[in-house]
Amino acid sequence: MDDLVLAMLVRALAFGTPILLAGLGEIYAERSGVVNLGVEGMMAVGALAAFAVAQSSGSPYLGVLAALLAAALVSLPFALASITLRANQYVAGLALTMLGLGVSGLLGKPYEGAPLAHPLPEAGFIVTALLLAVLLWFFLQHTYGGLVLRSAGENPETVDAMGIDVYRVRYAAVIFGGAMSGLAGAFLSLAYRPSWADGITSGLGWIAVALAIFAAWHPLKAVGAALLFGALYHLSYRLQAAVSPEFLKAMPYLFVVVVLSLSALRKGPSGAPESLGIPYVRGERR
Amino acid sequence: MDGGGGGLRRIGPFLIEKDLVAPPIRVLLVSAAALALAFLTAALVFWAYGVDPVLAYRTIFVETLLSSGGFAEGVRRAIPLLLAGVGLVLAFRAQFWNIGAEGQLLLGAVAAAGVALFAPLPAALLLPAMFLAGFVAGGLWAVLPALLKLRLGVNDVLTTLMLNYVAVYLVEWLIHGPWRGRTAFGFAYSDRFPEPAMLPLIPGTYVHWPTLLLALAGALAAWFVLTHTTWGYPVRVTGDNPEAARYAHMPVFRVVFAVALASGGFAGLAGVGEVAGVHGRLLEAYQISLGYGYTAIIVAWLARGNPLGAMLTALFMGLIFASGDVMKISLQMPFRVTDVFNGLILFFLISSERLLYYRVRWAPVRKGD
Amino acid sequence: MRKGLLAVLLVLLVAAGFAQGDKLKACWIYVGPVGDYGWSHAHDQGRIAAEKALPWLETQYVESVPEAQAEAYIDRLVKQGCEVVFATSFGYMDSVLAAARKHPDVIFAHATGFKRAPNVATYMADFYQLYYLNGLMAGALTKSGKVGYVAAFPIPELKRHISAFALGVRAVNPDAEVLVRWIYEWYNPAAAKEATEALIAEGADVFAFTEDTPTVIQVAAKKGLPSFSHYSPMKRFAPELVVSGQLVHWEKVYIDFLAKVYAGVYTSKNLQDVDYWWLLSQGAVELGGEYGEPVNPRFVSALKARKVNHPVFGKVSVYDLVVKELALMRDVELAFDPFQGPIKDRRGKMRVPAGLRLTKHELETMEWAAPGIKGPWPNEPK
Repeated sequence: MDDLVLAMLVRALAFGTPILLAGLGEIYAERSGVVNLGVEGMMAVGALAAFAVAQSSGSPYLGVLAALLAAALVSLPFALASITLRANQYVAGLALTMLGLGVSGLLGKPYEGAPLAHPLPEAGFIVTALLLAVLLWFFLQHTYGGLVLRSAGENPETVDAMGIDVYRVRYAAVIFGGAMSGLAGAFLSLAYRPSWADGITSGLGWIAVALAIFAAWHPLKAVGAALLFGALYHLSYRLQAAVSPEFLKAMPYLFVVVVLSLSALRKGPSGAPESLGIPYVRGERR
Repeated sequence: MDGGGGGLRRIGPFLIEKDLVAPPIRVLLVSAAALALAFLTAALVFWAYGVDPVLAYRTIFVETLLSSGGFAEGVRRAIPLLLAGVGLVLAFRAQFWNIGAEGQLLLGAVAAAGVALFAPLPAALLLPAMFLAGFVAGGLWAVLPALLKLRLGVNDVLTTLMLNYVAVYLVEWLIHGPWRGRTAFGFAYSDRFPEPAMLPLIPGTYVHWPTLLLALAGALAAWFVLTHTTWGYPVRVTGDNPEAARYAHMPVFRVVFAVALASGGFAGLAGVGEVAGVHGRLLEAYQISLGYGYTAIIVAWLARGNPLGAMLTALFMGLIFASGDVMKISLQMPFRVTDVFNGLILFFLISSERLLYYRVRWAPVRKGD
Repeated sequence: MRKGLLAVLLVLLVAAGFAQGDKLKACWIYVGPVGDYGWSHAHDQGRIAAEKALPWLETQYVESVPEAQAEAYIDRLVKQGCEVVFATSFGYMDSVLAAARKHPDVIFAHATGFKRAPNVATYMADFYQLYYLNGLMAGALTKSGKVGYVAAFPIPELKRHISAFALGVRAVNPDAEVLVRWIYEWYNPAAAKEATEALIAEGADVFAFTEDTPTVIQVAAKKGLPSFSHYSPMKRFAPELVVSGQLVHWEKVYIDFLAKVYAGVYTSKNLQDVDYWWLLSQGAVELGGEYGEPVNPRFVSALKARKVNHPVFGKVSVYDLVVKELALMRDVELAFDPFQGPIKDRRGKMRVPAGLRLTKHELETMEWAAPGIKGPWPNEPK
C-alpha cells in the first residue's frame, strides 16, 4: 500500500510540474494585476522551441533556454495590447492562446511525432519547480521587489506615487510568466513525453490558469494544488475500472468555480489582487 | 493625457485629438486596417513555414471565394459562428463576459443528441424538440455563471471559461460510457441519429439550411430587440453604465439573466445544428466544434455590438475556416493555420480599439503658434 | 509467397506494357499526422513505396483528417482528379460509402472496414497472429506474472489483438494476467505514459501496446523493463529491451490493388467482393521490432531456456515454439491459428469449439475477452 501511495505521489508530482511552473508564472502576472489567459499558447510555443532546438543542436539544455526565450517573446504582443494599449486582458489572452497554438502547430509540422534522442529526466524539472515555488514565495512576500509587484496589482496608484513605473512592473511580470510557461512547455517536450506534436499542451495551460485561482494566488499553496490536480490525473488511469476518468479530469475546472463561489459567499478575501484585470491609466482616477 | 477634447499630440501638420464617439466610417477604416495587418503578419508566418505567401493567398482566394464548393464550406462554418456570435453580441452589450460559448454549444449538442437518441417523440416533433432542448441546455450552462456573477460577484470570464472544459468532459464521458453507440464498435461516439432527427442539406453542399435560417432570423431578432423594443434600452444602458442603470431602477438582474439565457441558448442552437446537420451523432468535443465558441468572440468583436454586422463577420470567419481546408489539401499545411488567422485578427482588432477614439485633423502650424 | 510473386509479375507486366499510357492518380486520407511512428506513418510509407514501384502512379495525401470531416475532404480530392481514394481509418466508413455513392466513377478502398459497394473495396493487414507470438514471449519473460497492455480504443480490432496476445501469454504461463488500460486516443504520449506508469505501479513487468507512439517502450525502458514494439520498427528506442513486435508492409496491398486497377481488373463496378485480409502468408505483416529480425538476439537465450509442454511439439523451448508457429502461419496451408478451439472467454463461456477456428467475420466483430485479461472491457458479451 505504501508503494502505491508513493507511486501516486511521484506521478502526481510529474503531472503537476508543468501546471505548477506555468501556474507560478500566472500567479506573478496576476499579482501584478494582469490576467493572462494565453498560458496554453505560450506553453505550446515553449514546447516547440525546446524540442526544435534540442533536436537540431543535440543539447536539451539549449532547448530549455530556447523555450524560456521564445515564450517570453510571444508574451510581448500580449503585454503591449493589454498593458500599453489597455485592451481587454481576457480577450487579448485568448488571442495569445490562439496565436501560440496556431504558430507552433504550423512551424512544428516537420517535428511532429518524431521522438527525442536525448530526453531530460523528469526529476530535474520537478525539483526546479518546487524550489522555484519557495523562491517565488519568498520574493513575493519578503522582499521590496515583491512588495512593488503586489502593490502594482492591489493599488497601482501607490506604486506610481513611489516613482516606479507601473507599466514596467506589469511588463516584467507578464514576461516572467511567459518564460515560466515556456519552461513548462520544455518539460513536456523534453522530459515528460519526450516528443512534439500539435496539441502537446492538451489543456494544461488552462489548468494552470485554474491553479492560480485555486491556490489563491499564493506560490506555496500552488504546490499543494498542483499535487492535487496531478493526483486526480494519475488516478484517472489507476481507477479506470471504478471511477470514470472524465469525472476526475473535469475536477480541476469545477474546483475553480466552487472555490470562486465559496470565497465570494463567505464575503472573505479570495486572495484576488484588487486591481486584477483592470488596465492602469497613469494619472487617471478610478 | 487629459480628457478634455483639446489637441493631444502633433505629428507634422496633423493634430491628433481625443474623440468621445467613433463614427462608423472610422470604425470601418480601423477594422480594415487591423485585418490587413493581421493578413500581412500571417504572410510572415507562412513564409517562415516555407510556403510562398502570395501562392497561399491566391490559393485561398481561388478555392474559397471563386469555388462554389469552397464558398459553401465557408457558409457551413458560418452557421455556428453566427448563432454563437449573435449571442455574444448580446452578452457583451450587457457586459456579461461570456467566454463560454464553446461549452454552451457542446451542451446544446448533448441535449439534441439526448432527444434524438432517446426521446419517444413522433418524427415531426423530433427536430423542434432538439432545437428547444439545445437552447435550454446551452442557456442554463450560461445562466449558472450569470447567477454567480449577479448574486455573488464571481468573475464571469473565469467561470464561463472553466465550464467549457467541464462540458468537454461531459461529452467525453457520455460517448465513452452511457451513450456509446451499440454500432460504434468500441469507438467513442453515439449511435447514429434516426433519419427524422437529421437536418436537410442544400443539395450539392453540406449547408444545413434550417439552422442557417434560424441563425439569420436570430440575428434579425436580436437587432430588432436591441434597437426597436423597450428591452433593448436597458440592455444597452446596463452594458454602458451599470451604475446608471441601477440608479434609474432598471432591472439589471433581469436584463443580465435574460441576456445570459439568450446568449447561451443561441450557442446551444449552434451545437444542435452541428450534430443534427453535420455529424448525425454525438462525438468527441473537438470534432463537434472546431473552436466555434472561441471564434464567435471574434465574430462578436468584429461586429462591434451590431447583430446585423455579425452576419458579415460570421461569414468572414467561416471563410477563414474553409481556407484552413484549402491550405491543408492544396499546400499540405496543418489546419492550425486557422488559429494563426484567428489569433492575429483578434490581436489587431483589440489593439486598435483605442484608435477608434482619436481623430486625426489636418491643422498645419501657423506662424507664431 | 506465390500470390506475392504473381503480384510482382503483374506489376512488371503493367509497368512495361502501359508505360506510355495515362497516369493514375491515387489519394490517401490519413487520420493522424504522417510524422508519428504509428498507423498513418506506416500507410504513408506504403504510399511512397507504391509510388516508387509504379512509374505511372501519381499520389497525393491529406493527413490528420478528423473522421467527421472525411466526406468533404474526399469531395475536394475527387475534384482535384483523384481516381482512387484510400481511406485509412475505420471511422471513415460511413463517409466513404456516402462519397462513393456521390462519385460512382471513383474507386475507393477503405482500410479496416467491412462495408463494401461496387466501387468500395476493403483491406486490412492484420496482426493477430503476431500478437499471439509476442504473447508467448511475454509469458516467458514476466517474473511477476503480470503483463501490461496499453490500448487505444476498445474496438474489435484491439480486442482481437489483446485476446490473441493473452492466449499466447497463457499458453506459456497459465497463471499470468494481462492488465489492460484504455487511453481512448490513437496519439497521446501523455496518456500512454500515465497508463504505463499506472501499470508499472500495479506490478506489470513486460509491456505491449496498441497506440501510435513509442511511449510505452520508453517508459518501460526507464525502469529496465522489456516491451514489444508496435507498427513501426521501434527497437531503436530501447535496443536492449524491445523483445519483438509487429511490423506492417502496406505497400504489398497498395501495389497489388493499384496494379489491378491500372490493368482494368478492378473497376468502379466490381469491387463489391474485393476484400484484402492479408496476414503473414501474404507477407503483409512481419514479426519483429526491426525489419529482418523476428526476435531481439539479447532475449534468445532467455527464451530458449524457458521450456513448455506443447500438445503437438511436446517439450519445446518458447523460442523454438515461436519459430515453429511463425513458420506454420507463414505457410499458405495455415496449419496453425491462434484462435483454434477449444477456447473459452474469461467468463468461462465457450467461444471457439474444439476443432474449429474463428471465421474472418467473427474475428472482425470480436467482442469477448480471452482468459487472463484483467481490466475494464466495454461491451463485453455476457
